[in-house]
Parts: sequence; structure tokens; C-alpha cells
Amino acid sequence: MGREKEKEKPSEKALNLLRSRLSDPNFIFRPLSDSPDSNYSKLKFIISTSVTEACNNSILLLGPHGSGKVAVLELVLSDLLQQYPEAISVIRLNGLLHSDDNCALKEIARQLCMEHQLLFSKVASFDDNSQFMIAMLRECGLAHKTIIFVLDEFDFFAQGKQRLLYSLLDAMQSVNSQAVVIGVSCRLDVDQLLEKRVRSRFSHRKLLFLSPSKEDTERFMEHILSLPMDSSLPHNYAAEFNGRLKKILSDERFKELIDTYLSFNFTIGHLVRFLFQAVSYMDLNAGFLSLGNLKTALSSNQRQLKLESIRDCSVLELYMMVCMKRLEVKEQTSYNFYSVMTEYKSIHDSFQTSDYYAANVCLRAFEHLLQCQLISFIDNKGHNQSVEFRPVKLLISSAELHQGLKSYQQCPAILLKLMDR
Amino acid sequence: MATEESPQVTRRATRSYSASNTAIESTNPPESYKPTINDLGFRQQPLRLEDLFSSFPGRRSQILELLRLLGPLNSPMFPILVYGGPSTGKTSVTLQVFRHLNRPFIYSSCITCYSPRILFESILNQLFHRKDSGHSYSSLKRCERPSDFVNYLREALENVITNLKGNSGKVSSKMSGRPDGTMVYLVFDNLECVRDWDKSSTILPFLFNLNDILKMPEVGLIFISNTSPDTYYLNIGYAEPIPLYFPDYTEDDLRHIFMANQTNSRLYASFLDVVLRPFCRVTRQVDELAAAFSSLFKKYSEPLSDKEVAPNEEMKRRLFSHIRPHIASALNETFQVRSQPLLKAETNQETKKTNSSRMPGVREDFDKIDFHMSTSAKYLLISAFLASRNPATLDASLFDSTGVSDSHKRKRKASEKSMDQKEMAEQELLMKGPGTFPLERLLAIFQCITSLAEDSLDEEESHELTVEGGSRGLMSDVLLQLSSLCNANFIIKGGSCPLEGSTRYRTAVSEDLALKVARSLKFPLSKYLYRR
Repeated sequence: MGREKEKEKPSEKALNLLRSRLSDPNFIFRPLSDSPDSNYSKLKFIISTSVTEACNNSILLLGPHGSGKVAVLELVLSDLLQQYPEAISVIRLNGLLHSDDNCALKEIARQLCMEHQLLFSKVASFDDNSQFMIAMLRECGLAHKTIIFVLDEFDFFAQGKQRLLYSLLDAMQSVNSQAVVIGVSCRLDVDQLLEKRVRSRFSHRKLLFLSPSKEDTERFMEHILSLPMDSSLPHNYAAEFNGRLKKILSDERFKELIDTYLSFNFTIGHLVRFLFQAVSYMDLNAGFLSLGNLKTALSSNQRQLKLESIRDCSVLELYMMVCMKRLEVKEQTSYNFYSVMTEYKSIHDSFQTSDYYAANVCLRAFEHLLQCQLISFIDNKGHNQSVEFRPVKLLISSAELHQGLKSYQQCPAILLKLMDR
Repeated sequence: MATEESPQVTRRATRSYSASNTAIESTNPPESYKPTINDLGFRQQPLRLEDLFSSFPGRRSQILELLRLLGPLNSPMFPILVYGGPSTGKTSVTLQVFRHLNRPFIYSSCITCYSPRILFESILNQLFHRKDSGHSYSSLKRCERPSDFVNYLREALENVITNLKGNSGKVSSKMSGRPDGTMVYLVFDNLECVRDWDKSSTILPFLFNLNDILKMPEVGLIFISNTSPDTYYLNIGYAEPIPLYFPDYTEDDLRHIFMANQTNSRLYASFLDVVLRPFCRVTRQVDELAAAFSSLFKKYSEPLSDKEVAPNEEMKRRLFSHIRPHIASALNETFQVRSQPLLKAETNQETKKTNSSRMPGVREDFDKIDFHMSTSAKYLLISAFLASRNPATLDASLFDSTGVSDSHKRKRKASEKSMDQKEMAEQELLMKGPGTFPLERLLAIFQCITSLAEDSLDEEESHELTVEGGSRGLMSDVLLQLSSLCNANFIIKGGSCPLEGSTRYRTAVSEDLALKVARSLKFPLSKYLYRR
């Protein structure tokens, strides 16, 4: 195996290195958290004071998806676990999985048991689990151990009756317990969703995770894409790679490209995904990242999905969509398959097209359009009508349809003429 | 952590089960198949890259992009969404790429796993490499909720990955048939079916966020979908998977695909020259075209005595003129699957066919319906069709007790206003579709029709004595026939009307089919149809 590794080209090693870096949230967010007024330091301060001073606390981390909330939190927690190894235990819940109260308490009990090497019984009831949790809180409080509850996708916990939140926050009010509740959410107004009694027990601390400034972004990209000089890569290769990278980053076209991308997707998570795509397209034979890779990644993200669907349609399906458009123009807002067929027949009669097919073929084309979601049923309740009679609506605008027809190879001229009327 | 045992399910033993059980117990129980970690790879001969390209014409750039996104061995990846129209090769390309790379993967399709529980359990079964020897069809762990799934999945994946890591230190895997690398890939196929599930609002965000929830860099996720990414409407943020688009095949690609594996390639090439262009105007999906071409090619090569010969220009022209009338009719039935007896009947009637070349929608000689229905079911179908078509107030006049239907109206000169009204009414009829009717009305019409049939039978066979048994025979299992017609989707059972409380039915057959059925019974359906 050692021999195979030597045969590995340096470009392959570089590719591996960059890909693993880009998929590792810890690596990405550590440099962004170095300054003293960053969210990382604030969060660390809050949690460490709660641990050392044995008090309860609660905090919300808010920001769009991909801005690094959970990543920064994990960094803080790993640092604190190194600092105070015996004084912290972490329970992690996710709103997508555990929004049901029974589920959530069972998961809390399971994680507590795992941490303290206790036997976990799967058939414990809701009451058993909640009493267990309260008892553990009391015991840990007496032992000066802080339990940190991390509630990811916090807005899912705020649905329904919020029993779990209330019991957690209520248990924290007792003198003996030492707990910190950290809620993570992408809704900025999630505290408005809380009930009055829950909100009153919640300290209104919020940390906002916003996207970094432009200079920070550029510095970040350079840092993350540069190869380290002291790794197992050959020195001159790494130096040349970094040199080329600097040239690309200072290129005007690159700045334009990044601006375009960031105007739609401004979080670090999106940027990292974009860079991952660009790095994957790197040509292994040439061995260096080029501007072309970035351009390819950008174009694959900026697809016009409906136009692609139209280009995949057959001519008969285009006819049907144009018929529906004409029906809409004639102010007939709801139409079904048979009304489209009468319009189709009338077009054939007046223009003598060569594309006239029987009803069953047209029905199959109609179903294909439904499947691609270029048209859809108006309501979902009509399940006791067959497909031909349920009213449908077009899901693309006439401008998109027009553009699609123009870019369609060998589009029959009659269709364009009909659309123009 | 406490050991988790699956609860022993006690089963009620039927008599036959326990009888066969005793027979089995006397012999040794057969060794149930114990899957090992090698099953996670594609257990066939590994594929070279050139073979991969040649077996998928027109897909070269997609294969390269997929290979680049998957990356070199043991390199973590972001989730990928492979999307494109149906039968564009997404699933086959993905699976063959894994065969070429020889990496371990788990495949599950959301069509066969039609509920979250089955999906979760199928994935866990593939990962756990153990099956209960007693119940070889039940799952190892019962898993219904996403939270349980994540816990079990993490445990299973950690097992598998430590296994893989142990293997990678040993002999090169090419010789021992083991899959390469320490990453496990999960492939979810037919993701668009999840949209129609009951719990889709929680399952879809869960699947897309699975990467973040698991937080294991050794796991790669690949989603395959028939619809584009914007059809997954989600109102929580999630990291979008990297899209990979499979466009529909162009005509040249289709030509390459159909030319592969043909014995007489020149003959088939000339055939494709004739048929490919017109058929591509209707559909470009490979499966539909293949069905149409296979029967058409047989017709095309009929006049040739020697099927192996390469055609020259004159022969091509002859063949073209032979096939030309058939193309138009074939275009209009591109999607029908014919049953066997009709195919034979068709070959017998070849000589009788006289078609002009371009008569669209020509009524074929399929006057017969190509499935079997009992007589009472046919009458029931006709009565349902009439009940849906005609308004209820007309029943009395149409179905006189004397069996005489007289629908002559006094002809008046149609004024323009009444013509407009007629048009509006026709359009309304088109939009509304067939009407609903209660069960009693259906049975009443059925009774009238069958008594008519009895009378006509009487006239023909007046010398026969045993006639009364007939009507009772037709009435006996009407309700049973009705429920089988509902199951076959000829009649749709609607919700019950809130005022009356009885269920209403609606017919779902087209007029063509009803006419065919009536013709097979020699029933004059058009006399009874209400035309405004």
C-alpha cells in the first residue's frame, strides 16, 4: 500500500485534501471565529460563565441555513470539553426528528444513559422519562455538572403545545439544577412563536449569524483553497498551485463571477458547496485550479429548470401547452384534457398541420406533462374523477413558454405563430 | 449501553403452517443466506471506463461529471441530486458507475419502499448483514420514526466502516472481490414518489438534511429523481444537493441506442431512417419507442425473404412504400400493449388492409375489446355509462316498460341563441365530466336493459322453453360484479352525499369503450344516449 501511495499524483493528493477540507465544517469556521467580537467568543464566554458560576442560562442562535451556527457551537463545545472535562455533558436534539414530545424525552433519556453508563429501557413511558430527566438534572446540579441541551431546528419544537420546552425551562428554574439550553434556528422570529409561559422563562439572549463582509470572504477563500507548504505535497507543486490561485483570485472576471454567485446565495455554506463543485471539476492532468472550473460550477448552479423541461418535451407536448395557452388567452381559466383536445382539433382544422394524433396518444403526452410538473391539477381533492376530466393549470408563464419554443430545435413554425397572436 | 433485542413476536399458527412445520423440523433447517460486507459492492465483473462510455451512448459528459463529483477513493462528498426525464438512464448510469468504481453502496427505491417504515427498514437490513434465520422476510429491527432510524443507521454505518477500514489494510481488494475504500454511499431512487406520501412534509426535509444530521464524512448521499429540483417545495432551509442533469436523448443518440445489438445493422439503419423522425415528434422516451419499433420492424422486414441481406437503394424504396401506410396508424397507437389473440388475428387480416397513407385517427379493426368480461358485467358497464351520461329525468321516457324507446323530438328551427346555448352546454359537459348516480338508479337501468335483452332473446329463440332461468342468472351477482368493476377502475366510487347518505358512483370509461362493449352485445347504445 505504501507503493501505491507514492504513485499517487500530487494533483490527486491536493484534490483529496481540498475536498476533505471543504466538507469539514470545523476547518471552515475556525478562522472566521478568531476575532474577539465574533460569535464564537461571545458564545464561549456565555457558556463558560454558566459552567464556572453554576447558573442556568438559555440562548438562541439565529441565522440562515449554512451560516455556521451549529459548526461554531460544536467548536465551542469541543474547546470547553477540553477545558472542563468532567463538568459538562451535552444532549443533542433535532427538531426534524424529535419534535414529538415522547420521542424527545426518550432521546434525552437515552443520551443521558449513554453518557453515564446506565441501562436504558426502551419501554419506559413518557412520565418515567420525564421523572428520570428531572432526577438527573438534580443529581448533576448537586455534583456541579452542567448539562447543555442543544435544540437544533428550534422552530419545530415551538409547534404544538410546547410541552418539552416548558418542562425543560421549568426544570431549570429550580435551585439545584445547572443547565444551559441553546436553541438553533433559521427563523429570525422564533421567539415570537413561543407561548407566553415559555417565553417568560427564556432569557432573551440571541446571537445573530450574518454573512461575512466581502473582504472576509475573499480572505476566507484564499485561506481555504491554498495548499499548505509543509504537508506531504512536493514543495514546488504547492508553491505553483498557490501562485496560480492568487492570480485567479485577483482576476476581474473572478470577482464578477463571485459577485453573481453571492448575490443569490450569500451564506458560507453555499459558498463552500460552490467551491467544492469547482474543485471537483479540476483537471487532474493539468493539476491546477482554473477559472474555467469555477465558471462550470457557476453555470451548473444557474440552470433554468423550466426551460430545460420544455426542451425535453416532444412536439406533441408543445402543441398541448400552446393549446392551453390559447385557452387561457380566450379567458377560459379552467380547462381539462377534453377542452384542450377540442382546441387542438380546431387548430388542426384551421391550419391543416401534419401533427394530428389520436386521443390516447395525446392523453399519454398529457400525463407526461403532469409528471414533469409543467402542468398540474388545480385541486387535489378530485380523486374520484378520471384524469381526463380534472381541471389543470399551466405552471409556466407565457414568456417562459415563448422562450422555450424559440430555443427548441426544429420547433414547428405554426406554434410560434400561434403564440404570437 | 443496554443490549437491544428485537421482541419475539408470537404468531398464530394456522393448520397448514404447523403441519408443514413439523415436516421441516425433522430435517435440518436450511442455512439462511448470511450477507457479508462484500454484498455492499456490485458483485459482478468490474467494468472499465471505456466499456462504461460505450454502453451509454450520449451520456459521456454526465458520466464524467458524476465521477468527478464522487471523487477519488475515500474522499468525502456533498449530496448529489441526479434528475432528468423518465428512462434517460439515471439509475443505470449511477449503478454502473458504482460497478466501475467498485465502491460499497446501498440502493433503495422509493417505489418499492412505499412508506417511511419500509424505506428505513430496507436500508437497515442491507447494512446489518444479519437476518433472522427463522423469519427470513421480516426486518431485523422495527423502525418507524426518523429518530430511531438515525440511531440505528449510525450504529450500522459505524460497524460497516470499521469493517471496511479493517479490510483496506489487507490484500488488494481487486483479487478478493471486496469493495474498495472506506466510504459507504446511500442511493435513494425515485425520490419524486416521496412527495405523494402522507408524511412527505417531514420526510423530505429529513432526507435532504440527512447529511447534516448524521455528520459522518464517510457517508455519501445520492438522490435520483424524475422531476427537477424546483418541484420539491420546502419551507425550511436546507443545503441543496448538487444537481446533475440528464437531458433527454437527441435523435442521434437514439439512433445509436437502437442500433446497438442489432443483427442486421444496415437493414435496421434504413428502417430507422424512415421511422425515427416521425416518432420522435410524439415521444422521445426510449421505452415507448422501443415498444413501437419492435412490432414495426417485423412488418418492415416482412417482404424480405432473406433477413440478413443489406438493402440497396431500390430495395429500400420498396420497403419504404410497404411500410408507409403502417406508420401513420402505428403513430396513433404508440402506447398500446396488445394481447396475444389479437396479434394473431392481425397477421391473418394483413391482406385485407386497405388504407390511404394519411388518414389520421383511422378506426382500426379493433372493434372487439381485448379483455374478457362476463355478460352481466358488460350490461352493468353499459348501464353505468348511460346513468352517467343521461340526466336522471330522462330515464322514464327512455326506458319505457314496453321497451320501446322513442326519442323523437319535434324538430324546430334552431335559433342562434339556442345554438350558443348548446355550445355552452356542450362545453360545460366537457368540463364537468360524467355525472354521479346512486346505486338504485344503476340497478333500475340494469333491470330495464336486461329485460330488453331477454325480450330480444325470446324473439330469436321462441321455441326454447327455458328462458326464465336467464334473468335470474343475470341478476344474481350484480353487486359482486359492481365491486369488481370498481376495482378495475371502470366505475369510480365517490364519497357519500351528505344529504342522502348513500354512496354515489361515476363511470370512468370512454365512449369508445362503451360502444365497443355494446357492439359485442348487439345492444343499440346510441339510441339511448342523450344528445342535446
